[in-house]
Amino acid sequence: MRVNPNPSVDILAAIQQTQAQEQTALEQLSSGKRVNSPSDDPAAAAAEIRNQGTESRIDQYLQSASSLQAMLQTADSTLNSVVTTLNQAVSLGVQAGNGTLSDSNRQEIVQQVQGIITDVVQLANASFQGSYLFAGTETAQTPFTQSGTTVTYNGNTGTNSVNIADGRSLQSNVSGSQLFQQPGSDIFGSLQQLANAVQSGDTSAITDATSAVSGALNYLSGQRVFYGNALNQLNDDQTALNSETVNLKSQDNTLVGADLSQVATELSQAQTAHEAALAAAAKILPMSLLDFLPTN
Amino acid sequence: MGSLTGSMLIAANALLVQQGALDATSNNIANSNTPGYSREIPILTEAAPVVESNVTYGQGVTLQQIASVRDTLLQLRLYDETQQQNNADTQVNYLQQVENLFSNTDQGIGTDITAFFNSLNQLSTDPGSVSQRQSVLAAANNLANDFHGTVSQLTGIQQNLNQNVVQNVNQINILTGEIAKLNAQVADMHSMGQDGGSVEDQRDQLITQLSALTDVSAIQTAQGLTLTTGNGTPLVVGNQSFALQASLDSTGAEQVYSQGQNITTSIQGGQLGGLLTVRDQFLPKVFDSLNSLASGLAANFNAAHAQGYDLSGNPGQAFFSDTTGSSAAADFSVAITDPSLIAASSDGSSGSNGNIALLEAVQNQQLPSGQKPLDSYSGIVFSVGSATAQAQSASQASALAVQQVTNQIASVSGVSLDEETTNLIRYQHAFQAAARVITTVDELTQTVLSMGSPTG
Repeated sequence: MRVNPNPSVDILAAIQQTQAQEQTALEQLSSGKRVNSPSDDPAAAAAEIRNQGTESRIDQYLQSASSLQAMLQTADSTLNSVVTTLNQAVSLGVQAGNGTLSDSNRQEIVQQVQGIITDVVQLANASFQGSYLFAGTETAQTPFTQSGTTVTYNGNTGTNSVNIADGRSLQSNVSGSQLFQQPGSDIFGSLQQLANAVQSGDTSAITDATSAVSGALNYLSGQRVFYGNALNQLNDDQTALNSETVNLKSQDNTLVGADLSQVATELSQAQTAHEAALAAAAKILPMSLLDFLPTN
Repeated sequence: MGSLTGSMLIAANALLVQQGALDATSNNIANSNTPGYSREIPILTEAAPVVESNVTYGQGVTLQQIASVRDTLLQLRLYDETQQQNNADTQVNYLQQVENLFSNTDQGIGTDITAFFNSLNQLSTDPGSVSQRQSVLAAANNLANDFHGTVSQLTGIQQNLNQNVVQNVNQINILTGEIAKLNAQVADMHSMGQDGGSVEDQRDQLITQLSALTDVSAIQTAQGLTLTTGNGTPLVVGNQSFALQASLDSTGAEQVYSQGQNITTSIQGGQLGGLLTVRDQFLPKVFDSLNSLASGLAANFNAAHAQGYDLSGNPGQAFFSDTTGSSAAADFSVAITDPSLIAASSDGSSGSNGNIALLEAVQNQQLPSGQKPLDSYSGIVFSVGSATAQAQSASQASALAVQQVTNQIASVSGVSLDEETTNLIRYQHAFQAAARVITTVDELTQTVLSMGSPTG
């Protein structure tokens, strides 16, 4: 049977094919990815998009968690200062209940207690990045204003929650009224009561007021646990999210990553095939009957 | 009875015939690299013998014809494979352009959707913050811009396809015109018992070019070849060609007409078929998916947004412009520019983030297509990728098929230089021998003439 007398087309096709194999291997090696465009593996490319969406969302959760962390820490340390200040008020109450103090000494204590009220109002009006921490969700309103002997709450009882993972959210605040003006544990009320009692010099009233302040203090310490818990929860959340990120990255790699050692092998195979095709071409193409005929 | 004159005539004729054969060989060698050239062989036959008293005298050789060696069936297969290959290649070319719009996993509509919802999550940590509200608007505008960018690039590809449809139709018309002329010549030559030779080579070459452009079926008739498109619309009948026309329809798509009839949907093969497949079957699906993603996302988000309150305590107004229908993705835009209008609050207080949870939930809410927004986008990427992959494997398969048929054709019709060299030697020897016959007969004639002369 007659064969195609011109092998150059086949030879060129073979050379081109080995070149294409080399290029594919090179592309995979240099990008580290097996899937460089959707057509390389449509299902993997689509899955990678969903995976990357999840990764990016987790990054955001982590970022939101660290924003929350900063805010919660500020709130927590503010409350810590309030507790310290209230402890001073309790000692002042104990001191005033002693009964051996002069009027002027008591007057001094009254002024100190009044100073403590102002301090606590200031602490209760603490803000984080321009938003009041203890105003409920009225974060643009100064939560507590003092006029005369009364402290008024201008915030609301609203709370916010932030999604810190898929399907998990974290309450991020406690309203100022719940913290500072809970009926029965009213911090400003009990402090004012103490000031009034010291002013009057009535020892039993002072004892009552002191125990009211100390009750409010215990209550506030109890409320502070909320912030501690929230911070713990954020820590746990961050740990969980970080390990999920690691999982997703490894899934990503399984989906679209190139097996580098395999690709390197493929590359050297393609190179060998390329050299073989070239060597064959060099042998076959120049062959001609004319070379064997006398030239005269 | 044989005669010296007879031998001389036979030899003289042999010289001419061997020259003719050498001519054919020379022509083959000259055209050994000419595309579409079919090798020619001299058809030598014995001349009619003369019988004299029971002795049959051969009368030498005649050169009956110089005939091209071709296999018309292989040629028909070549047309078929060529149109399939060009169809697939054209699809690959355009699908890869579309694919490029969806290849980058670090940017584009998919990342924008996630980034937008991420900005909302960030806002929920400080819902009153104007700068974080600004970031939400910026992320939403990014998404809108990428919708617009993708749509406008797809539209660009569509326009490109349309221009190429017109160009292809023009090329088809030029080719069918030329084929009709050559067809008439070939038919004439065949009817006179002549070989089509280079005219037929040229015509076949043009038909191969034509089948690169569209699906052609060729039927041999008494008037020569009849060429039709796949559904039977005539392109060339005998010496007559039928031009196609391209004209814009109301949607701005070029339609192909033959003699007043719209044959666009029946064109399946060749480059033209590939262009039309991408333009009329593939791109509309991508546009539809993008549009339903854009309109569904806008509608779901606006519904959630309306349930909240903005920074001033007013009910949330539309966040995205209302977009529906075939221009949803192109019209997708953010309706508000004032960051305080983002309805983050669930109770009207400025620090509430109660509605953001609802807004964030939109990313997990089903669109009318039944998919979540990001899944809907990854669905688009999947369909673009798999269409491209399919076209690529079709292209590889048909390239192989074309190569095989071309090989087969070359094994029948291709010029082998070794073969021609061998023939060259054969004809040279025959020529030399015939010349020797003439010399010998000449000497014999001299001998006869000098018979009886004293010097003999």
